[in-house]
Amino acid sequence: MDALVILIPLLPLIAGAVIGVGHLWGVLDGEASERTTAGIATWAISLSCVAALALLAGNFLGWTAGSFEAGQWLDSGSLNVPVNFITSGFSMVLATLFAVLLFVIVRFSVNYLHREAGFHRFFFLLSLYASAMLLLVLSGNAVGTFIGWEIAGLCSYLLIAYAYDRPVAAYNATRVFITVRAGDIGFILGIGLSYAWAKTLDWNQLNTFAAQLSAGQASAIALCFAIAAFAKSAQLPFAPWLARAAEGPTPSSAGFYGAIMVHSGVYLVLLLQPVFERAPLVMALVAIVGLLTAIYGFVVGLTQIDVKSSLFFATSGQLGLMFLECGLGLWELASWHLCAHAVVRGYQVLSAPSLMHYILGNPIRPVGREIAGMRWLYTASLQRFWMDQVTDWFLVKPVRRLSHDLAYFDDHVVDRAMGIPLPSLRTISTLAQMEKRKIATKQSLYSTLGVASSLTLEKRRMAPQPEIQDSDFARGSGFTGDLTRRVTAILYWFEDRLVIRGIGEDMIAYGRRLGLAANKIEQLLLNPGYLTLFVLTILLVAL
Amino acid sequence: MIENFPILSLIILLPLAGGIAVGLIQDIHIARRVALAIAGLELIVTLVVVNLFDAANGSSFQLIERHTWIPSLNILFLIGVDGISVLFLPASALLTLVAVIASWKSVQHLTRFHFALLLAMEGGTMGVFVALDMMLFFLFWELILPPIFFLIGLWGAGPDRRGAAMKYMLYMLFSGVPLLFALIMLGVNHAMQTGGNVPLDLSFSFPVLLNTPISEDLQKIIFLLLVTGFAVKAPLVPFHTWLPTTAVEAPSQLTALLVGLKLGAFGMLRFAMPLAPDASAKYAWVLGILGAITFIYAAMIALRQTNLRRVLAYASVSHVGLVIVGVATLNMQGIQGAIFQLLNFTLIASCLILIAGLIQHRLGSTELIHLGGLAKIMPRLTTFFFIFAFASIGVPGTSGFPAELLLILGALNAHPGLGIAALLGAILGAAYMLSFMRRAFLGPVIHAHLSRVMDLRSREFGLLCVPASIVLLFGFFPDLILDVNRVAATSWLNRLTH
Repeated sequence: MDALVILIPLLPLIAGAVIGVGHLWGVLDGEASERTTAGIATWAISLSCVAALALLAGNFLGWTAGSFEAGQWLDSGSLNVPVNFITSGFSMVLATLFAVLLFVIVRFSVNYLHREAGFHRFFFLLSLYASAMLLLVLSGNAVGTFIGWEIAGLCSYLLIAYAYDRPVAAYNATRVFITVRAGDIGFILGIGLSYAWAKTLDWNQLNTFAAQLSAGQASAIALCFAIAAFAKSAQLPFAPWLARAAEGPTPSSAGFYGAIMVHSGVYLVLLLQPVFERAPLVMALVAIVGLLTAIYGFVVGLTQIDVKSSLFFATSGQLGLMFLECGLGLWELASWHLCAHAVVRGYQVLSAPSLMHYILGNPIRPVGREIAGMRWLYTASLQRFWMDQVTDWFLVKPVRRLSHDLAYFDDHVVDRAMGIPLPSLRTISTLAQMEKRKIATKQSLYSTLGVASSLTLEKRRMAPQPEIQDSDFARGSGFTGDLTRRVTAILYWFEDRLVIRGIGEDMIAYGRRLGLAANKIEQLLLNPGYLTLFVLTILLVAL
Repeated sequence: MIENFPILSLIILLPLAGGIAVGLIQDIHIARRVALAIAGLELIVTLVVVNLFDAANGSSFQLIERHTWIPSLNILFLIGVDGISVLFLPASALLTLVAVIASWKSVQHLTRFHFALLLAMEGGTMGVFVALDMMLFFLFWELILPPIFFLIGLWGAGPDRRGAAMKYMLYMLFSGVPLLFALIMLGVNHAMQTGGNVPLDLSFSFPVLLNTPISEDLQKIIFLLLVTGFAVKAPLVPFHTWLPTTAVEAPSQLTALLVGLKLGAFGMLRFAMPLAPDASAKYAWVLGILGAITFIYAAMIALRQTNLRRVLAYASVSHVGLVIVGVATLNMQGIQGAIFQLLNFTLIASCLILIAGLIQHRLGSTELIHLGGLAKIMPRLTTFFFIFAFASIGVPGTSGFPAELLLILGALNAHPGLGIAALLGAILGAAYMLSFMRRAFLGPVIHAHLSRVMDLRSREFGLLCVPASIVLLFGFFPDLILDVNRVAATSWLNRLTH
């Protein structure tokens, strides 16, 4: 019975693979094969829905063992990552709920995306995402959850950039992916710390082991996972990414940022309840961040004028409340809140475009009286508390500046110090461009000369033509270059003296010595390494 | 019968002989086909080697062949494979095959010479991977240089290709000097330890040298020399500037080979550390710091680049840094991750470069100002680029993920600082890759003439399908690779940490 759990993430994965490969090979393309694509995606997700429901029912009837191990994924030294699943408790409930919601979203998209240019791409991504999300909630170990976590993030990136020819969409997608990935540092650190201290990556074992962790260790692990959760669930200070994510098509917005993916942070905290309970300071932090985000979401939401943004800020706020509940230890409430919110928000986002349709022509209502009177709060709300600007100022710009300086340093210091810089690297990057430039300089030369028509044709031929020189071949510069040149000069001086004196004084004796030296050199040359060096040098000179 | 067949010699000699044959055939079309056939045959032979290889006994050298070569100096023709080196053979063979197909039509002048050089280079590379006599290793190490020199100089894509060829050559010759010194010192040390008679008691055989006692001071010197030599080839900061130059100037198939065959890091893993075990254990942190600096430094610079090939070159430098971090961790995850990542990048980095070459071939440039909105015009090419780029930044599902996970967990276990540096580098990696992808592939089509550009031809499409599926396969089943080198990595580690 438990083995059924493999099918739940596997079926959408297979559907995604079939659609992806088919689309890439050109088999599934255009309007004609829309039905096939939609059929594959819908059948896969509905079958995994059925599997999830069956497993949930089995779970209630007591037919399941609660976990299932399908084999080994990775094994290196003491690090051992199996492919295992949790088939009981909150994970199973949530997986079933998500599977049902995903089915609704997939079904909804079939009509919504009819005749859209990226129809097949959308269903490929949606199936992949469904698989990732179900793996995230069902996986019994941290690495499996992380895989789902990352692939869901990747799908989110690709779906925000769904209309990839719009610069804003492409920019927002990149920004969101990198923000969320910054949070993933926390996840990997958490995995690393669990592995170092608890010697396990299995969620159940980690939770059992939590009692033996010292408070400091538990806090560190909990903090790392909490940071990952904040990033994924759009809590402060990562919150602004959620508003950027509204670029994707509506069904994907519903799936990612309304109903499903944003909840994975809360799920992670709920999953690690025993570890968090050992770390009261982190619990307090979770509560505070949740509270602040709730306030932030509420205040900013008041001034939003498009339906998706206001829904997303409301989501952010609700998620904040869930974190607050977790932080206060109301785990049961948080999990109910999560499920209820997923359903309601999923419905709201899906129906948002129709809402726009219904209220067409209605005047926009002025902002609420609560905020209209407070000028500063109003501005802050409109500007979304300048979160993006602050991140830009403190993180993005310094990194850019540093990378600019380092690039300069690399080109102008490191490369020169090594003695062999290449000129004109930036200006001309291809042969064709060089030819173009050559012709251009010649032409401009001729045209200036042509103005002074007194010049004869011969003179024109004689006129200096500034060819772009081939680089000074085999000539060093910079520190090592200089060093080599000086050493060569000294050697030359030495040789000069020797030869002049040798001829003048005792030619035979020197000749004999030279002969001996030559013998030695020859012996050295027989050494294969030197022999190759010698051959190469000759080759170099000959070229 | 197959036990006695000199299959490793065949691996070295087949491409070398094939290179000569290709050079001699008059008809270009036949020569090209012969080159393809030899590269394909080589791949099959290397796969046979992997099949013959016994992973359970992977710590000892297998398929050994031993002949005397220069008796007066006791230099042997000694070759063999162990769990660390065996998988590099098919990976390099596949890479060469891909390079041959990728340059099928794009090389128009001196075609036969070009394919002959590619095959000669393959022979030398195979020699580096299987050589067990240090002098033989050095011979192959230097033997790779002339083909590369001519390949850059004659078929380079940039205006400064001659200068780039020269630059590459000078760097590599420089890297050879400390290596040779270290190897001679090792040989002489062996003579001193066993009898003191210098020409007679010399030995350059790697398995023998592993068991020769070396004084601590000598180990330090040898470690330093070997690390310097390999660091240039790897490349590690500050010896890396030859790679970006070469990447822009060289033909893409050669750049793919250069970034794909991470011989420097392989040398570090295979020779530098086991030959000076105490010094390596003591000074591994130096390597770790060098690796971490390289990882982050190169990633930062890549963030700033405007030319796709330069971005990829710096990305390649950056990844070598992470591999060196993994080697320096001296734990199982680090080592296995390092080997995994090296194998990975044989495919990932080189395929990215090949795709850049395809773009160069179509648009005449890989400079950002000439690109923009490529996804619209070349959806298939973009798909492949995205797959490899995601593999390169370690997204799960691709083989980049298990390797990077192992490396980062290894680094975290060795030293938290190292691990955090590795994590920061991983984010920077995503940042430079994605922001370049955004500007080059996404967004609107800026240049009108781009809309006439052709997407992947079916030959190119098929060519890229193979490495892409391998990347996905090992992403789903990483144990396939880890199983091969598990025993070898364990004994490697035992040697260093006792």
